[in-house]
Amino acid sequence: MTDTPAIPARPRPFRPATTEPALVKWSLIGLCLAVLTVLLFAPLYAVFDEALRRGWAFALASLSEPDAQSAIRLTLLVAAITVPLNAAFGIAAAWAITKFDWRGKAWVITFIDLPFSISPVVAGLLFILMFGANSALGMWLVANGLPVVFAVPGIVLATMFITFPFVARELIPVMLEQGRAEEEAALTLGASGWRTFLTVTLPNIRWALLYGVLLCNARAMGEFGAVAVVSGKIRGQTTTMPLMIEMFYNEYLSVAAFTMAGVLALLALVTLTLKSALEWRYADQLAATHRH
Amino acid sequence: MAARTFSVRAPTPMPGWGLSFGIMLTMLSVVVLIPMAVLLWRGFVGFGAAGMWEVVNRPRVWNALELSFRAALIASLFNLVFGVLLAWVLVRYRFPGKRIVDAAVDLPFALPTAVAGIALTAIYAPNGMFGSALMQSFGLRVAYTEIGIWIALIFVGLPFVVRTVQPVIEEIDRETEEASATLGASRLRTLTHVILPMLAPAALTGFALALARSVGEYGSVIFIAGNLPNVTEIAPLLIVIRLEEFDYDGAVAIAIAMLVISFALLLAINLIQIWSRRRMGAA
Amino acid sequence: MNIDIEEISKDFGTTAALHPVSLSIPSGTLVALLGPSGSGKTTLLRILGGLEFPTAGRVLFDASDATGLSVQERRAGFVFQSYALFRHMTVFDNIAYGLRARPRRSRPGGPEIARRVNRLLSLIKLPDIGARYPSQLSGGQRQRVALARALAIEPRMLLLDEPFGALDAKVRRELRQGLRDIHDTTGLTTVFVTHDQEEAMQLADLVVVMSMGRIEQVGRPEDIRARPGTEFVREFISA
Repeated sequence: MTDTPAIPARPRPFRPATTEPALVKWSLIGLCLAVLTVLLFAPLYAVFDEALRRGWAFALASLSEPDAQSAIRLTLLVAAITVPLNAAFGIAAAWAITKFDWRGKAWVITFIDLPFSISPVVAGLLFILMFGANSALGMWLVANGLPVVFAVPGIVLATMFITFPFVARELIPVMLEQGRAEEEAALTLGASGWRTFLTVTLPNIRWALLYGVLLCNARAMGEFGAVAVVSGKIRGQTTTMPLMIEMFYNEYLSVAAFTMAGVLALLALVTLTLKSALEWRYADQLAATHRH
Repeated sequence: MAARTFSVRAPTPMPGWGLSFGIMLTMLSVVVLIPMAVLLWRGFVGFGAAGMWEVVNRPRVWNALELSFRAALIASLFNLVFGVLLAWVLVRYRFPGKRIVDAAVDLPFALPTAVAGIALTAIYAPNGMFGSALMQSFGLRVAYTEIGIWIALIFVGLPFVVRTVQPVIEEIDRETEEASATLGASRLRTLTHVILPMLAPAALTGFALALARSVGEYGSVIFIAGNLPNVTEIAPLLIVIRLEEFDYDGAVAIAIAMLVISFALLLAINLIQIWSRRRMGAA
Repeated sequence: MNIDIEEISKDFGTTAALHPVSLSIPSGTLVALLGPSGSGKTTLLRILGGLEFPTAGRVLFDASDATGLSVQERRAGFVFQSYALFRHMTVFDNIAYGLRARPRRSRPGGPEIARRVNRLLSLIKLPDIGARYPSQLSGGQRQRVALARALAIEPRMLLLDEPFGALDAKVRRELRQGLRDIHDTTGLTTVFVTHDQEEAMQLADLVVVMSMGRIEQVGRPEDIRARPGTEFVREFISA
């Protein structure tokens, strides 16, 4: 055996086997940031840039117009009805699905998810067909002073359809993971059904519930396609904030359109902030897919 | 052996079955099942398959359907590739601002589609900040062309693949990657032959979700599309137009055509999923 | 192949996983790195395999410096504690992986790969499982497939991290003999990590007892048993 090494030791930096070279790493990071800038950050910036084109005062003035005010009120009203109803549905569905074993469960879960794969426009169409002027039910309702289509009930129904899966989808995996043992323990200790739910289940799912409600609310306030179809877009009566944006935009009232859009964009940013805060703070109490 | 009574539900001391199942079924029926049944009834029984085919089998409708599915496929394929890449970057690399970027990925979930629509139009219009640059440097028009539709659909579908793939990357066992390296595989080979196949099922799930979402997308598209019949008119817009003309049968026919094609696509993706899961032995 | 470890140390941040350690392993020896968790035995094994880089010191393979060689260049057959089988590949594809990953000029053709894979499958006494997926195998079978996969690259040495850790006692004893047989057949320098002193004493030609990032004693099993070098060794082997 000679002393001359067959393989020269190269003074190159060691890179662990599970990493990429620094050049590759930073190129990929750069590429991702570039694409996100072009696709996400630039549009977000554009909203505020366009809204403030003529200054704060002008932008804020556009919000205090009667039509804008009524749109804001309607959007808040629709969210205030839709979100609690869907939260109630989500809790009931998650309870029935995770606490009991029954036939047809898989089908019900599929149906709950159905709105995710249906066009918002088709969702609007569904309620036009059911309650519109061309249906017997719709004519009867109009005759009795309770119009659904081109009125608030239709907007609520269409919004409910679009946001239907949000709370249930969030609660089901969390409650499945938590199992039934704690509820069973409470029952053996003599707690009633309601008491068990309020004192054992609800505290365990509160952050997941809030998470679902947050996403449900963001979507409910921002829904456009489904509401556009059922609302009839009557100014000052059935025009929600997203519809108002379209109206302003088509009337070339750019600042008014982008100011209203800015308000909704702020809502989106608040939603994202709260959502991220939940993910960081209460990751263990959310569905596994939201944990980072 | 005692005769077992047939029951839908296994016996349990857990309370609240009647109430929770009742609320669930009632709301599911009122909001989803009955309206869907009315649509299908109206289409297949009221109007008839032949009548619907006549509506759909016209150039304008056919072009709109083709455009909607083509653009959705292109956008979702982009999101498939970029989503896997972004998920990798977010899980494996540390860089300044990472948390903000991670949170921002969900912006398309939170930002109303109409807001996204006018914002994208503002920057990609011929006088917008990117639109004018692209026009001058490459003569490329984005807004009011099909490319604009792609951009809007990429925006809408962006989070899906990232969010389905991210947890899978987090769970990859480092030893699997190290094993590949000790066997002599280059890093690139490890990525393409070991890691990508592990991510494929989740990526495909995300792709399917993005596709389903972008096929039916309306709000973010109509502002940037230009809405020229036969060229940049998407199928959901055509449904709206039919409704404005009070042509309910026409709207129903196009809606059902979209549902049928969507479900065929999702079924195909599901079958690929099942096949790939079975290949892995689904431990 | 002779392996020489010269004054290797490894720090993770401010904690030292290995204080400078030196060790000579003669070609063809079956060596056990024995010690409790945190003794630095796995770190030392990973440094040999090129998965960690030492803070200081050198590794020599047949007297030539191998410290700077990448994992890929080392050609060390590595068997991981979790086996790390590729779950989307069949057993056959797992074993063939390393051969297919070779650069084109040294890559064997399809029939040659098949011949080698089948030879390895008979070597591990599982000739008929080539078409199965890892999820369809028992723990013991997985371990043997991982071993065959490591052998397929015609390694210069065999490194095993707790190769029997995840198995029950009966399978453990069977596989110990299997590893001994394979070592004797191939004549490869083999290093395995274990915290089980009985396993080390029964299987190895040379036992390296480690504790707190230091080598306490190196010797043949019977020598260590007869003359424990330190108090730690005495206690550890009598446990």
